[in-house]
Formats: sequence, structure tokens, C-alpha cells
Amino acid sequence: MAAVSTAKITVTPSEFHFVKYEAQDIVDVVTELAEMLGVANPIHVIVDESTPLSKLAAEADGTSSDSTLTLRAESGALENTKRFTHFSADAARGSLGRTLLRAKDRLRSDYAEAPDDFDLSLAENAAWDTYCAGRLDRMGVKLNKQRWLYNYRNRFGFSDDGDAAFERLWSADDLSWTELIAGP
Amino acid sequence: MRQFFPVDDLARDERFVQTNMAERMKDARTTVDVDAATAKSRASSNRLTPDRHDASDGARSLMHGIMVGEIQALEGAGRTAHDFEAGDGSGDTIPFELKLDMARQAWDEARHVEISVKLSDWMGTELGQFAENTVLFEAACSNDPILRLAGVNRALEGLAIDVFTQMKEFGNLAGDPYLEFCEDWMLADEVTHVKMGSDWLRKVTENDPDRRKKALEFQQVVDKLFSFGGARGETDESPIGLARRFRELAGFSDDEVDTISMMDQEALDERKEAIRAFHAQADAQPTPA
Repeated sequence: MAAVSTAKITVTPSEFHFVKYEAQDIVDVVTELAEMLGVANPIHVIVDESTPLSKLAAEADGTSSDSTLTLRAESGALENTKRFTHFSADAARGSLGRTLLRAKDRLRSDYAEAPDDFDLSLAENAAWDTYCAGRLDRMGVKLNKQRWLYNYRNRFGFSDDGDAAFERLWSADDLSWTELIAGP
Repeated sequence: MRQFFPVDDLARDERFVQTNMAERMKDARTTVDVDAATAKSRASSNRLTPDRHDASDGARSLMHGIMVGEIQALEGAGRTAHDFEAGDGSGDTIPFELKLDMARQAWDEARHVEISVKLSDWMGTELGQFAENTVLFEAACSNDPILRLAGVNRALEGLAIDVFTQMKEFGNLAGDPYLEFCEDWMLADEVTHVKMGSDWLRKVTENDPDRRKKALEFQQVVDKLFSFGGARGETDESPIGLARRFRELAGFSDDEVDTISMMDQEALDERKEAIRAFHAQADAQPTPA
């Protein structure tokens, strides 16, 4: 894990009207995550504040160390669920951490076949979320494993085989795209 | 023991943070199709079904809402059993048998709270993870016991019928055996609670048409509030549907359900209008350099 990140981080919009978020708070969280995950690429975070939903997406405009990573988040993904429209650093850490890991995966050559995030199937999304959440959890980001198990079960079925596949993804650290979507 | 508890005095531990409808409606973000530029619909429908990308999180949030709703329903039924003297139903009295029904309902709701806590745990939700909207208990704060029946047993428990039907269907489609089973059993109780309210409201106001009219008007006010700005309704724009069949079993007439459906649509339209106004206001603000 890299101790220092040189990532240049930008946030759009710079001022929020629908939610009580500060762009600097998002920069702070992403700076911390980039450092933790060893990402030195420029990172652009785009928040859609007009919806309370929580869809996330990651893009990389290349595969080099200076390719820009774009993290898209609907405002609900960064929200304090106890105080609507207020920012939660914990929620942002979990959401943007998963998304940054996805973007980092996309820099690998064995993810060249992965569809764009908006074109992923629900099952592919669930598998990738599990893989990212498991890695984040081991890095000390506060996550509820049961939440991700429930999400996975909703896509792959409520069965022992499904649960075993979830555990494999959750505990994995170095999967290719093909291995990731292998399923139960 | 103290009678007539205000909503601010509800006992909760530090895990719970409360909110109300006024606060919720200040949130100008939307998932509905206000206009082409701001449409945020989930594919073709907002209905809470497993094919939504945020299905499991949506279900977890709704399950938490059910759990706190059950706590408030327990508190409401318990208060009604305790707050009024036994009598013939006139004035501030309620028939003793109505007290017994409220006590039975409180027992049911306590069981529902336990079930909902276990379901929340199963779905990966922590207690108090989401804000608790106290609007349900507010419907149980009337000084007239008949208005409480209208507000709690018919409006609140009617909403519970809609929500449980939605969640039962979600569990069925997702293949979640516990969710479907538990929602089905709780749904059966809710139908009974609404039926108790319908029956008692008719019985106690049998010779008092003005009081009945006032109670039904109060129910309409509460029903519109419980639409949560159109979150419940018969079109696919609403996450929660209106469970006509189970409402019928609970004693709602077709006309009554039609009226609720119409009010849900009104609430949705008003919400859209409010959001349009907020968007226009936001657009008019200068863009930072």
C-alpha cells in the first residue's frame, strides 16, 4: 500500500444547492482513499445532487498511471441516512472507496473486457461490489458485511452455494474480470 | 401513569434520530419524472422491485421504516387503550371491548417490532441507521378516540397493508424466504387491525353522523400525509402500490380506495410542483466563478 498519493482530485459541482455537502469534504475523503489504495492518478468526482438515489460508476480514460479516473455518484451514496441531505464521511468512504477500487481495477489489462459501469448487469454489479467491499473492509473502512451479503443474495439467490461464492469474492484480493464474474 | 403523550416525548435511545414530514418535504431531490431535464426514474418504474439497481438498499431502508412504524403503532395502540376511560363510547370514553382490541393490537405490534428487528438484521441494517419519521405517531395524538381510530387503524394500518404487500411481493420475486413469510404474517395482522378500526368507527358513531364525518375527514388528511408526497400510489412513479384487494378485505369500500388513490396522485402532483419551483430557484442562483 502506498503511503503517499500524488493524485490530483477535483469535484463537480464546486457548490451544492440541493444537499448540504461541501466539495472540500469530498476531496478530503477521496484524498484519504487514494492514499490508502495507492492510487496516484488524477481523480474527478462528479456528484449528481438532484437525485437522492445512490448509483455509482467508475471510468478510466486509459490504463496508464496518469489516466484520469472519473467517479460518478448520485447524492444518496454520500448521505447521512440519519440526517437527510447532510454529508456523511463514513458513507462517502464506503461508496467512493468501492468506486475508486473499480476504477483502479479498470486500469488492469485483464479488465479490458469489462463493460462500462452503466452497461453492467445487476449480477455483474453485485459481484464487483462484493469484491470491492471485501477489500475495503480489510483495509479498515467501516462496512456492514451482512448488507453486502444481502445484496449478493438478491442477485444470485438465497442458497448455500451462493453464500460460498460471496465468501470467495469477499475474501479475494487479485481477481481478473473473468474470475470476478464466474458466479456461484 | 401519564396520559396523552406528545410526539416529542417518545422514548428512544441514542441510536435513533427523529425527523418529521415538514423536514422530509424540504428535500428537493427527486426520483420522479418532473420534466425531461430532471427525470431520474429508475428505468421505466420507481416501484420497489428486485430489478431496480438499488433494490436491496431500497428494501433495507423501507424495512427500517416499517420497524420504526411498528414501534409507533405499538405506542399508538397502547396509548389508546390507556388514555380513555371505559364507557359507552360517548365523549372521551371508549367501550371496554375496544380497549381489549387496542391491547391485542399493541401485542401484535410488539411482535411485529421483534420480527422487523430480526429482518433488519438479516438484511444488514443497524437499528437507527435511518432517520425515524414520527408522522405515524402524530396521527395517534388526537384527544378524540374516534379520530385516533381513523388516523391509526384506518390510515396508518392501511398504509401498513400497502407496504407489507409491496415487501411481500419483493421477497417473493427476490426469492427471500424469510422476508416473504414474515411480511405475509404481519400483513394478515394489519388487515385485522384495519378491520377493527373500520368496525369500531362505524359502531361508536352509529348515532353521531357529525362525529363520523369528522373522523373520516381526519382520516383523509392523514391518508394524504401518509402518501409521503406520492411515494405511495397506483402508478409506477410511486415505489409503494395501493393494495386494493387487502384493503377491501379490511373493510374499505371501493369508493374509499378510489379517494385514497386520488389523494395519492394529488400528493405526487403537489410534490412535483414544489420540486419544479425549487429547481427554478436553484437555476436562478449565480454559478460560482
